[in-house]
Amino acid sequence: MKKLFFTFLFLAAASISTGRLQAQVIVIANPGVNATEISKNDLKDVFTGASTRVGGVNVVPILLKSGTAHQEFLQVYIGKNDTAYLAGWRSLVFSGQASMPKVLDTDAAVVQFVAHNPGAVGYIGKATPHDGVKVLAVR
Amino acid sequence: MNRLLAAAIALALGSSPAVVQAQYNFNLHGRQVQVHSFGSQGFAYTNDNNYLTMNTSKGSFNFDDLGVNVSSQITEKFRVGAQAYTRRLGELNKGQVTLDWAVADYRFKPWFGARGGKVKTVMGLYNNLQDVDSLFTWALLPQSMYPIDLRGSTIAHIGGDLYGKVPLGKYGKADYTVYGGVLPSDPHQGYIYALRSIFHYDTAYVGSIAGGDLKWTTPLKGFVAGTSYMEQHPKGSGIQPPSQLSPTGGSFTQDTKKRQISQFYVQYIVKGLHVDGEYHRDYRDEAIIFPATTADIQWNARSWYISGAYRFSHLVEVGSYYSHFAPNQNVDISLPGNHIYDKVVTARFDLKSYWTVKAEGHFIDGYGQIDSARGFYDGFPSALGGTAGFKPQTNMLLVRTGFSF
Repeated sequence: MKKLFFTFLFLAAASISTGRLQAQVIVIANPGVNATEISKNDLKDVFTGASTRVGGVNVVPILLKSGTAHQEFLQVYIGKNDTAYLAGWRSLVFSGQASMPKVLDTDAAVVQFVAHNPGAVGYIGKATPHDGVKVLAVR
Repeated sequence: MNRLLAAAIALALGSSPAVVQAQYNFNLHGRQVQVHSFGSQGFAYTNDNNYLTMNTSKGSFNFDDLGVNVSSQITEKFRVGAQAYTRRLGELNKGQVTLDWAVADYRFKPWFGARGGKVKTVMGLYNNLQDVDSLFTWALLPQSMYPIDLRGSTIAHIGGDLYGKVPLGKYGKADYTVYGGVLPSDPHQGYIYALRSIFHYDTAYVGSIAGGDLKWTTPLKGFVAGTSYMEQHPKGSGIQPPSQLSPTGGSFTQDTKKRQISQFYVQYIVKGLHVDGEYHRDYRDEAIIFPATTADIQWNARSWYISGAYRFSHLVEVGSYYSHFAPNQNVDISLPGNHIYDKVVTARFDLKSYWTVKAEGHFIDGYGQIDSARGFYDGFPSALGGTAGFKPQTNMLLVRTGFSF
């Protein structure tokens, strides 16, 4: 019974934690991207190099180098840790199947880049000012 | 080569993370060019038999590699790139620099693209990735499936691929690749080295190749299944020097009448758990033509492995695999000369996102046949150019550190 209680407690904490993570990171796109929303699967495909199209237009993923938003994005939307995620991109790069996405240092730099480059799609912390880009709802 | 590798590793390890993790980009005629590299240094120590043509029974560092690639996205759909590669691996490679791949790639649609040049060959889970140490838990991939001795002749082909990703709705998605071309020449590969005392090849063992791969990403999260098929027709010719087998020596021609390779694979990755399994069948029918006679030889090799790894944290991953190789299923594979079975345990440490250290124990049973080209070379009978005297068991400690950025 005690074990069951702690299991429940752990699951509850995990679900609260996941909910909190989903609330903290948002997906942004250049205003030229037609879509207003993106499915979780399509988002994962774009950010793992499996697809380059959203809403009928070519898109380019922009990555954060590190930080809370980066870790949360990988955990919530990609389902991989940083090591496994980088390994996926390296496998494409070193086998000649793709180029590495642009990696930027800060949330603000991602906003700037996405705002000024057609097709760019990125992710940032929710609290970061994001004028000049559109927010894609993730279904 | 040593100095080159040392400089590259020193650059990677001695620089600040911010520098190392930065992409080395530059602009050429308005196009961004990316530069990436990877490299590794290994140390191998065995209890008895020497392994991979290194003097491993005394401990050997003669095991390193370095790859540098450049690529550029010319347009939204058109990309070009190339990679140079060099390695030292005992007597097999001594720092020769080769063009690993050089590709022009045009993706018409997500479901249809074409690439040509020297293209990495998609076969099974990892054939086209086998040299990038940082991608794997293991210091040495299962050698039944991805023999490092044969890397130069298996990793790429000169020709073209058609490829694409096809969404299957609620059934997941499929990745396909079909290809054709010729095998690249690799005079330093293990097969030619193994037979060096009885056959001196003038023309490398090369020929046509065609095949395909179909990978299904299933609706079950993290589960992938696939199959590959390849046909080859390699040929070679040269001189048979005088030996106990052929006192007068003479010329020879080696002609592959049929070589069919099929492979099946599954992969399951969920959270920190990573499980792989692959099965490989390689059927060869060859004629070796001497001035006075022709030898018709068939091989029916079987390889398989199963592996499991678990990542405990960003720093540590541990795993184990069992690798099974029988060079010819038609003979008694219980004899140590007719099989190589390898039980492996590994710990991988990710000291930085670009720097790994791996420690691996191999417990190998058997040594295979002379032309198996899977690690064992110098213990075959002296008539075949060996020193005679393999022990049936080999234990090996392998430590490997690598970087990629």
